[in-house]
Amino acid sequence: MLEILIVGAVSSAIYAMLAVGFTLIFGVARVLNLAHGSFYALGAYGAYVLTSQLKLPLLPAALISIALVVVFGIVVERVFIRPMRKSQLAVLMITLAVALVVEQALFLTFGSEYRNVPAFIDAKFTIGGVNIAGARLLALGVGAVVIGALWLFIQHTRYGSAILAISQDPEAAQYMGIPSDRIFSVVMGISAALAAAAGILAGPFLTVQPTMWLLPIVKAFAIVVVGGLGSIPGSILAALMLGYAETIVGYTISTSWTEIVSVLATLLMLMFRPAGIFGRRAAF
Amino acid sequence: MFNKPVDLAGAAAFVALMAALPLVFPSNYLIGVLTVSVMYGIWAVTWDFMSGLTGRENFGHALFIGVGAYTAGFMNTTFGFNGWWSLPASMVMAVLFALLIGLPTLRLKGPYFALAMLSGSVIMQRLMLIFWESTGGEEGLNGLTPLIRSQVGFYYFALAVLVAITLLLMALARSHFGLILRAIRGDEATCQAAGINVTFYKIASLVISAAFAGAGGAMYAHYQLQVSPQLFAVVTSITIITMVYVGGMASIYGPVGGAILLVLLTELLRNFGEWRLMIYSCALILILFFLPGGLVAPTWRRLRAAWLRRAA
Repeated sequence: MLEILIVGAVSSAIYAMLAVGFTLIFGVARVLNLAHGSFYALGAYGAYVLTSQLKLPLLPAALISIALVVVFGIVVERVFIRPMRKSQLAVLMITLAVALVVEQALFLTFGSEYRNVPAFIDAKFTIGGVNIAGARLLALGVGAVVIGALWLFIQHTRYGSAILAISQDPEAAQYMGIPSDRIFSVVMGISAALAAAAGILAGPFLTVQPTMWLLPIVKAFAIVVVGGLGSIPGSILAALMLGYAETIVGYTISTSWTEIVSVLATLLMLMFRPAGIFGRRAAF
Repeated sequence: MFNKPVDLAGAAAFVALMAALPLVFPSNYLIGVLTVSVMYGIWAVTWDFMSGLTGRENFGHALFIGVGAYTAGFMNTTFGFNGWWSLPASMVMAVLFALLIGLPTLRLKGPYFALAMLSGSVIMQRLMLIFWESTGGEEGLNGLTPLIRSQVGFYYFALAVLVAITLLLMALARSHFGLILRAIRGDEATCQAAGINVTFYKIASLVISAAFAGAGGAMYAHYQLQVSPQLFAVVTSITIITMVYVGGMASIYGPVGGAILLVLLTELLRNFGEWRLMIYSCALILILFFLPGGLVAPTWRRLRAAWLRRAA
């Protein structure tokens, strides 16, 4: 029981880091970024290269890797997404193509075998008789802190207000003199950083290989649909729900069935309440 | 459907060329490549009928192909049905999946449909691996019986199916039904205001597209004599979308040309081995930027206009 509680919280934290960035971009730019999973994969691979081949210690390696992914995210936004923003489907196409290019680049440089990202903490902890790897607890802790920090950033800074303003009404925000293009770049950077951090934190206990971008996109989409497209509190709550639902299914039925949870949740939600649990915005 | 004699002549010349190639160059290798290109032609044209006409991009066409192929695999190997039963069965299964995903997502605006199709195919691929005891896992199902023993015979059968599907879909696209689909792409709200049941038309077009794509999947399974989870891969869907973009969206005949062109070019790129997919993805990006109208259909339109001007 306690194990379910902790393991579920860990996967929820990873999911939340992925989904919040995904939904944030949607809220600001009305863009679904299918290259979001690539940020996650690139973060993990960056940490792998910097630690195992350049022999850097893990903490600087992680920070450098996140910084590189942020730069990559902003470049993707400037070069590929911005010229396509007229059409939502063109954006989906171009970001999917970028994700495939990244996957193929990773495959051509590193091959398809699994890579190891070292863990910050190798120790195992025992909480109430349950053994939990330190890496998982760290993922939970860092995830919670990062999302808390993002929440404060959005609620209490000028940039945060600009982000909120644009996601509520892009045109009115522009009339108020908010530079929406610059805010979009900032948000893209933030979301890339969150995804890369999730990749590095999850790297030690999940598989690091070129196609690792795909499932996170599927999960992020499920979470964002359940939480409501563009709603940050919604996606945090939905991440918790999906993380726990998958863990409970994994422990009580079989781990084989966990993958079905997200798709089932997506379909049911779209059938009965397409605006998401909070229903802040109608299904546009 | 053929407004001018030149259209009929173009179509006839294309079919004659495709039919003559194996007679002129009777090599099993070439026939194999052509058969695969014809299969992709079927998938590209079915993709274009739904997504090109209504503007709702389907990022998981591989879902229908894989469902069709696995239906054929189970019917043929596990239950021992004759191969020809696979075709109707796979169409029915593909239609069921189309309804399962289409009903909740196509009544909504926005990117829900595109992403739900993508998720659907990803999850089906995972499920094929997870339930390996009945699906054969990575290996898939082996030992299907061929529909037609002779390789050339199967090629001509596939070519005939492609021509029939293309003609049917072009006729539908030019009918009242197709007009409504195009109108939906133009302005959904106006269609709704005009009293058109937009959701019904979108789902109907998806069902038609899925049925033929599923039949194509079953034919592919009986051609390869095996099915594998790779059929559900995102790469399969993207390859098809790239073919449609090269062919020219919403033209129906263009994607057929795009598919055949790209499969033949891919064979020329064989030496690049693992770089192939990289080249594909980069080509897709370049096309999106520089040739949003495609290559095959615009070229044909230009040729046709030049011909008509000379004739007049």
